[in-house]
Amino acid sequence: MNFLHRSVIFFTVAVFLFPFLLHADSSDSQLEAANRAYTYGSYDESAQLFRQIIADRGYSASLCFNLANAEARAGHPGLAILNYERARYLAPADKDIDHNLQLARKQAGLEPNTYRWWQVALRSIDWTVWLSIMAAGSLLIFLAMIGTACAPTLATATNISVRALKITFRATIFIGIPVCLFLGFIELSTLGFNNRIEGVIIAPKEATLRISPFESSDSTGTIPEGELVTVEARYNDYLRIEARDHHFGWVQEKELAPITGSFDVKPAN
Amino acid sequence: MKAPLFSLRPGLALAALLALTTTSSLAAATLTQQMDPQEAGVGDEVTITLKVEGGDIKTKDTATGIFGMNMAGPDITLPQVEGLRWNPNYQFQTISINGKASATVTFTVTPLHTGDFTVPAFDVPLQEGAALQTKAMKLHVVAGTTSPPATVPMPVPINPPSPIQNLPGFNPNGPVVMPPNTPPAPGAADSTSNGTVEVPTESDGRPAKVFVVITPKTTDAYVGESVPMMIDFYIRLDVIAQQDSLPTIKGSDFMMNSLSVHPQENDLMILNEAFHRERWVTAIAAPKSGDFPMQMERDTYWNKPNTTNNNDPFGNFFNRPNLVHELVPSNELTFHVHALPADGRPANFSGAIGHLKVTGAAQPTSVAVGEPVTLHFTVAGEGNFDYVKCPTLADDPAWKTYVPASKTNYQDESHTAGFKIFEQAVIPQKNGTLPLPQASFSYFDPANKQYVTTPINLPAVTVTGTAAAVPPASPGGDADATAAAAKATDFLSNRLNIGSLTASLAPVYRQPWFWVVQGVVVVLLLLGMLFLFFRSRTSPDNDLAERAQRQQTLEQEEDAMGEAVRLGDARAFFLAARHAVQLQLGAQWKLQPEAITLGEIRQRDPQLAETLESLFTQADEVIYSGQARKDLDLAQWQLHVRRDLLQPQPA
Repeated sequence: MNFLHRSVIFFTVAVFLFPFLLHADSSDSQLEAANRAYTYGSYDESAQLFRQIIADRGYSASLCFNLANAEARAGHPGLAILNYERARYLAPADKDIDHNLQLARKQAGLEPNTYRWWQVALRSIDWTVWLSIMAAGSLLIFLAMIGTACAPTLATATNISVRALKITFRATIFIGIPVCLFLGFIELSTLGFNNRIEGVIIAPKEATLRISPFESSDSTGTIPEGELVTVEARYNDYLRIEARDHHFGWVQEKELAPITGSFDVKPAN
Repeated sequence: MKAPLFSLRPGLALAALLALTTTSSLAAATLTQQMDPQEAGVGDEVTITLKVEGGDIKTKDTATGIFGMNMAGPDITLPQVEGLRWNPNYQFQTISINGKASATVTFTVTPLHTGDFTVPAFDVPLQEGAALQTKAMKLHVVAGTTSPPATVPMPVPINPPSPIQNLPGFNPNGPVVMPPNTPPAPGAADSTSNGTVEVPTESDGRPAKVFVVITPKTTDAYVGESVPMMIDFYIRLDVIAQQDSLPTIKGSDFMMNSLSVHPQENDLMILNEAFHRERWVTAIAAPKSGDFPMQMERDTYWNKPNTTNNNDPFGNFFNRPNLVHELVPSNELTFHVHALPADGRPANFSGAIGHLKVTGAAQPTSVAVGEPVTLHFTVAGEGNFDYVKCPTLADDPAWKTYVPASKTNYQDESHTAGFKIFEQAVIPQKNGTLPLPQASFSYFDPANKQYVTTPINLPAVTVTGTAAAVPPASPGGDADATAAAAKATDFLSNRLNIGSLTASLAPVYRQPWFWVVQGVVVVLLLLGMLFLFFRSRTSPDNDLAERAQRQQTLEQEEDAMGEAVRLGDARAFFLAARHAVQLQLGAQWKLQPEAITLGEIRQRDPQLAETLESLFTQADEVIYSGQARKDLDLAQWQLHVRRDLLQPQPA
């Protein structure tokens, strides 16, 4: 009886765990294959496998980091820096990512762009934390507003003087509103909300910067592969960008890749 | 029938100048000058503005190369300063307001390298004959750029309003054919060979209502060479027209820089007819060698001469502007395009053609192994800057080189004059005093018909440290030190776990739900405010009115107390005093004043009751007996009531 009972429990647990075991095996095998290719020096193949994992399952700091390593070894500095930037976007405080990113930039002859401590601090705290604090503050303010109106009733119920209640509620409102606004500002800052999207030059060697968004337009210079730029407008398949030295110009969209999302920017007039 | 083109501009300018001279001589002329900015980066444009008030700057006729026409420009000789390049374009404006003349001329100068420069004093001749002298101006030039980001024309760029009054390099006698080796092909359709362009005329001898004239700097060029060219569109002022297109090249033998949508515009007289002219300055280049016809055209929207039947009695009555689109061609030229010679072509020739100079510098000149040194190269002059590439560096195992970045600053509208700055990082691989790799730049000089290779002198760099950067060995610490050095110079290895996944990298603020969440928080606040607002509207704050009424009554009772003290009326005093205290306490305890009795006070605040007991007892005694004790000091009671009993009590 005892044996039978144990067998049933074991069988039940095994049935429930079996799908999870299958799933774990599948995911690990993909990652292991990509890492194995990297270890054996097949960097292009490794990069392809990491891209496939990302396409199948989504982004993570580790996957972007590994993909960037493979691209760097394969001799694609632009794609390497792009993926290191993506990894840093997902894990801003990760020192290993920053180390490899700075090394890739250095090998591409680019200036370092390590985050400062306050940038790390700002980006490390998830925006939902700021939102939660802001929402709690707003709720508190809302209740304080209701409480102000119902102070006499509350005073009777709580045996606290009306004056003390009103002072408390008013202080909550007048301090809480600017605090909530400030938290909202921090929250949007954390998300990089400025309607401009950062991208990385992925064109081999360099991208040509043009005065206007046409093939026949004069060039105003070049930006080396891997450099970080800010996209601010679009015209057909050209993007108006600002380089790190505040040099403006138009580059073809295919020569750039966005760190986050897509180049969904306003069309130029 | 064609007639030569004339212009009344010099005459008009002379008349205007005479008028200004007459008025400006009434007062002494003064000169103000401004240099902006006074600290700039290499390649930045620095503006020098000279303003003469109460006088007029002497002008000279400046050839424009268009039909031999001249334009009035300031007769100022700018001092040459090593390391500064005066840009050929300038703005010149003369105005007269209420008989007071003033002239403003703005030059731009571009620093070519770092350092402190002094633009020496120079003369600004006046039309009246005398001359004003500027003061010396100092300019500090630093590496990089200090100017705010230059704006790049948007898809519909607007041409700067300043007219190019002086176009260096344009032959004042018009385009000249200068075949370098062979004479022009016989019978070539070259309307410019005699140095003038003829205006097409109509059957009545008047100049054509609409025509286009192209004027290249030369019709003899090399493959890939940028040839500046002016495109002039003329339309008679009496013609109704509305243009919405740009001139285009006929055929595909040439490439042209994009035209600005808004050209320079002015009015002028041609064969006693007033014309409106639109001018574009651009550059063309031929991709292959040979003799090619060059012609442009513009889709023109204008009022064609009426061709209706004159015998139609209603023809004129119903005559309306006959606005039509018509492709108006320009004069046709023949370009002789030569292939670049194969002999003597340098290995590092990138297709640059023109008159170019190159300089180089390196910063810093002392670094550690593995730290980058930035090479700055500046290629300046006239040429096809699209083909100007970074000077090449000789292979040197002591240095690792990287892809350069570049920036082009054009100094004329045709984009053939300017300078291009390259910044290239090189990293030393060993220590010592290392000479930088040999740098050189090659281009083709069309004037001398030969390739030119310019070596660039770069300084030696002092490199410290070691390549491995391994700290000194210490017992038991070798492995850690080696690992640390390897970590610093190599990529950290892959992660073995995937980590937390996210479906998209799209910024969350681009998702609609994000703003919904933010909106909920804001709405919460707004709801609270609305609640307070509507509550205050529906149940007005009686507290305020009550408080005001109570305060007024209190003041009345205090006045009554004072009056009773003055009259020695103890009954009136205690009545007023008790009522005042009842008002005060009633307000605090949210009770009616009449409800404040000694018993009520004793129940709520026994200590206060002790203080007030004498007042209430005395008041009852006086009020009910109608008589007061003789020894009562009403003034003392008043002081006691005011100081101790009418002060707000703690809640």
